[in-house]
Amino acid sequence: MTGLFQTRLQRHLREMAKYLRLVFNDFFVFALLFFLGGLGLGYSNVLKQLKYGQWWAPVIALIVLVIVVQIGRFATLIEDADRVFLLPKERAMHAYFVSARRYSQGLAQATQVITLFILSPFLSVSMHWTITQILVLAVAQIILKDAFLRLDLASAYQVTAQRRMNQWWIKWLLAIVILASGLWFMAYAAVVLAVVLDVAVAVWFHQHWENQQIRWREQIKLEDNRMLGIYRFFNLFTEVPMVSGTIKRRRYLDWLFARIKSQHKQTYLYLFSRGMVRGTEFSGLVVRLTVIGMLLLYFVRGQWLPIILAALFIYLIGFQLLPFFHQYDDIVFSHVYPVASDLRLKSFVTLVTLILSVAALCLWVVVAIANPSLETAGLALLVEVVEVWYLARLYTPQRLARADKNRG
Amino acid sequence: MALEVSHVVGGYSQIPVLKDISFDVRDGELVGLIGLNGAGKSTTINHVIGLLTPHKGKITLNGVTIEQDSQAYKQQIAYIPETPVLYQELTLREHLEMTMMAYDLDQKVAWETAHELLKTFRLDNKLDWFPANFSKGMKQKVMIVCAFLTNAKLYIIDEPFLGLDPLAVNDLLNLIEQRKKTGASILMSTHVLDTAQRYCDRFVLLHDGQVKTEGTLSELQAALPEAGESLNDIYLSMTKVDRA
Repeated sequence: MTGLFQTRLQRHLREMAKYLRLVFNDFFVFALLFFLGGLGLGYSNVLKQLKYGQWWAPVIALIVLVIVVQIGRFATLIEDADRVFLLPKERAMHAYFVSARRYSQGLAQATQVITLFILSPFLSVSMHWTITQILVLAVAQIILKDAFLRLDLASAYQVTAQRRMNQWWIKWLLAIVILASGLWFMAYAAVVLAVVLDVAVAVWFHQHWENQQIRWREQIKLEDNRMLGIYRFFNLFTEVPMVSGTIKRRRYLDWLFARIKSQHKQTYLYLFSRGMVRGTEFSGLVVRLTVIGMLLLYFVRGQWLPIILAALFIYLIGFQLLPFFHQYDDIVFSHVYPVASDLRLKSFVTLVTLILSVAALCLWVVVAIANPSLETAGLALLVEVVEVWYLARLYTPQRLARADKNRG
Repeated sequence: MALEVSHVVGGYSQIPVLKDISFDVRDGELVGLIGLNGAGKSTTINHVIGLLTPHKGKITLNGVTIEQDSQAYKQQIAYIPETPVLYQELTLREHLEMTMMAYDLDQKVAWETAHELLKTFRLDNKLDWFPANFSKGMKQKVMIVCAFLTNAKLYIIDEPFLGLDPLAVNDLLNLIEQRKKTGASILMSTHVLDTAQRYCDRFVLLHDGQVKTEGTLSELQAALPEAGESLNDIYLSMTKVDRA
């Protein structure tokens, strides 16, 4: 079973390495260095102005530590098929989970150590803590994280009391109590409390796990969510096939569809509009790009730069929308329904026009606010209108027709 | 003659799965498409619904081929796939409404039919749910309701009996019977031979991409006198000949 985990871990790390190479391309590393440098500079400036003995200093330290101790999830790497194929091996899974916890420690504890390292000048300036005190607090933080990962491990089993103990607010409460005792009373107190917790969970779990069933469904779901989170992050930088987005009902947006009449020629507009609004993949993309564009444009001044940037963002959004046309291609009814393909294309063009118009309007409002010049605002409006018209009405149908032809 | 499949050679790639297949489905008739896994049932169905184009041969539906007028051809067909296929983002109500829009049905009349069907299949309280989260049997019922909402001339049903509860199977058979009376035809593939024997008017026995025999049960019995009485026996003997 330990062997199985090692095999999976290797596969997992290979996959992560593949994506990390794509994420940390030269451009991104460069941007990241600047960003971190800027943050570091800001932090050191803040430290210089910091005075000793502010009442809120330990509060900030507590908030940071309590949040960070929750970071670093229990990575089990279990898969959906496991609940069928590994069911007969349920007892042996314990060794697997123990290996998984050991692996999970790595990243989680590194995060704790780095956080304490970053926090140490703050603690020493604002609270006059010595190195020893900070180190002791770091030990408490690490042991606390160890106990939390132990709780996660225990929650893989159907121990009822344990499940109650693993509710999310318990972890927050424990972290607050233990770390607060360290920050306000003495650092050693936090270590003692953390050790007591860790040992208690360990002993209790040791006595109980052998009589318990594994909560396969929950564990698989947790692991899926964890991986989905990672893939989502990668998906910001590169195409990740595992991220297909989820569906949300979003009943509060139903009014948007009221204008779409139940007519034959609107069949696909009916589908596309709902798919766009309720699926998170494309709607998320549009919203993200629009918001980033708006933020950027708010800080950009000048005669032409805002206009060019606004146009660029509209182009980006329009371009990213194209694949949505094929979203329903592998659903057989898209081929069986007696709806002519040009009606489908027309519906799509309508949808793209609508989305781009709204996005363009949002961007334009920000341009107009940021640049009080009537000329810039007017020109931006003109450029945007022409661009939306061209992208939606001419470019999109042409592109899709060409892609269709290439498919045969 | 509702559906006429004549000398169709076809498949997913250049290698043909169907080797010169011919059969027909007449008006008001329920024809069972019978065959082992991999015999070519689903491939045949995919050709009939226009998902695949035959390499050779012709498929006509009431005088129209899909090349002549795909709109008129598809308008006559309603399809129930073996594995339910649903739009993730649409609720049950929206699935029905979309079907009505796609087939350009009169909404008022269609909704009356729909409510009746929903009641029959006990889905009437789930109109605002996402059927994508239903169980397999319930998803299949959604497919049935969507298909029988239309006034199709030809219903194509791929293996309807697996996954449905006995009550739903019975309701589906009643529904088929009722549509037959109005002149609609049904082409149905299945492995459940004793049900097929009781309800189908005629059978097309596919084996290894070819039509082994076709006809009514008595015609099959006459053609293979040693095989036995039931469709099951006839079918088994037919495949045995091939295995020997």
